[in-house]
Amino acid sequence: MNARDAGLKVCSTCGVLQSLDSDVPCRRCGARVHSRKVHSLQRTWAFLIVGMLAYIPANVFPIMMTKSFTGDRSDTIFSGVMALTDSGSHFVAFIIFFASIVIPVAKFVIVSSLALSIQFNWDTSLRTRHRLHHLTELIGRWSMIDVFVVAVLAALIQLGAILTIIPGVGINAFALSVVFTMLAASSLDPRLLWDGEKDVY
Amino acid sequence: MITRVETLSPQQNTENLIACSGCDLLYARQDLQVGEFARCDRCSQVVQTCKPLSIDRSLAAVLAGLVLLLISLCLPFLSLSRSGIESTISVLDAVVSLWDSDMRWLGLMTLGFIVLLPLIRLLLLSWVLWSIRFEHKARQATRVAFRWSVQIEPWAMADIFMVGVVVSLVKISSLANLEAGLAFWSLLALVGVMVIVQMTLCHDTVWNKLEERT
Repeated sequence: MNARDAGLKVCSTCGVLQSLDSDVPCRRCGARVHSRKVHSLQRTWAFLIVGMLAYIPANVFPIMMTKSFTGDRSDTIFSGVMALTDSGSHFVAFIIFFASIVIPVAKFVIVSSLALSIQFNWDTSLRTRHRLHHLTELIGRWSMIDVFVVAVLAALIQLGAILTIIPGVGINAFALSVVFTMLAASSLDPRLLWDGEKDVY
Repeated sequence: MITRVETLSPQQNTENLIACSGCDLLYARQDLQVGEFARCDRCSQVVQTCKPLSIDRSLAAVLAGLVLLLISLCLPFLSLSRSGIESTISVLDAVVSLWDSDMRWLGLMTLGFIVLLPLIRLLLLSWVLWSIRFEHKARQATRVAFRWSVQIEPWAMADIFMVGVVVSLVKISSLANLEAGLAFWSLLALVGVMVIVQMTLCHDTVWNKLEERT
């Protein structure tokens, strides 16, 4: 039996149950309590679309410019990964590739297919979908690695004519994209997945 | 074994019930032994925990974390030299230098994610745990503080920052000589300490204690 079917709703921060039709904040922690997150799917789509749009300039524009007496170069996310591979740091290249390309794209695909699966009542395994949702919430924040790399390099490397690193527009777009997809994943209420459950599982 | 609630009488006390935060399934509250936890048998979300010595251990870890964070903010973080020119920065210097060179967004984000949010979270947690440990009367404010510290959690990114730092070290190792300062090691230790906080902090225990003392 679901809490909602029993006429109850649970506080998402502290777990206290209260009656479905009471309007007061949680008596223990003071949070507003909703049986399901408010406008969950709408918010998820809105955040996700902004996240996907921001991911385009994040990849097109350079995230980092290096100026040194041996010449200037500017790197996009992808060319940064290639540069790392060329210099033989395969492991680090893999980490960046994973955090900046695999995780964001996987999140776009997973979150949008979860939202669609709720809207159209898809008949795929609920456990799998629940796990996927949990996974996206868990690993989403790790996409920020590249942002911090650029921040550290830009702050640290100010050696004037010898070597200077300047962040590009791409990194701002990328950070926005990560923040918005994190918001998208956390707006999606996993309980909506289970609401569509058929009696057998 | 956790038992589902299938029927509910109107008189049922909701304090003996818990609902899974992942799928909304209703369960009877268990009497857990210390060290045990209960999972939802439908979606496998952990629904109830009872961690040993949670308050003492997590308070200790949180205080250690505060000290480490303060150390890492002020002491030199990295120093770099090439062709006789040297530059040493602390984390705060890095933020200031990003701000000064018109990279305000990046500076603000770094400040927020790796300085402010972790600091706020640690301060809130130390306040909450301290007041439980030394049996101060719990006020509504303490509960709000704990709620916030729970909600901030995914946005405090010291751990991710450290991976970013290591990647940057690899990236520029061929261009300049780098040396990690004390702050680097204390921030690394902070990441470890935060994992300990995560492992020892028992939300159920904290909420119950906060409720007992009103």
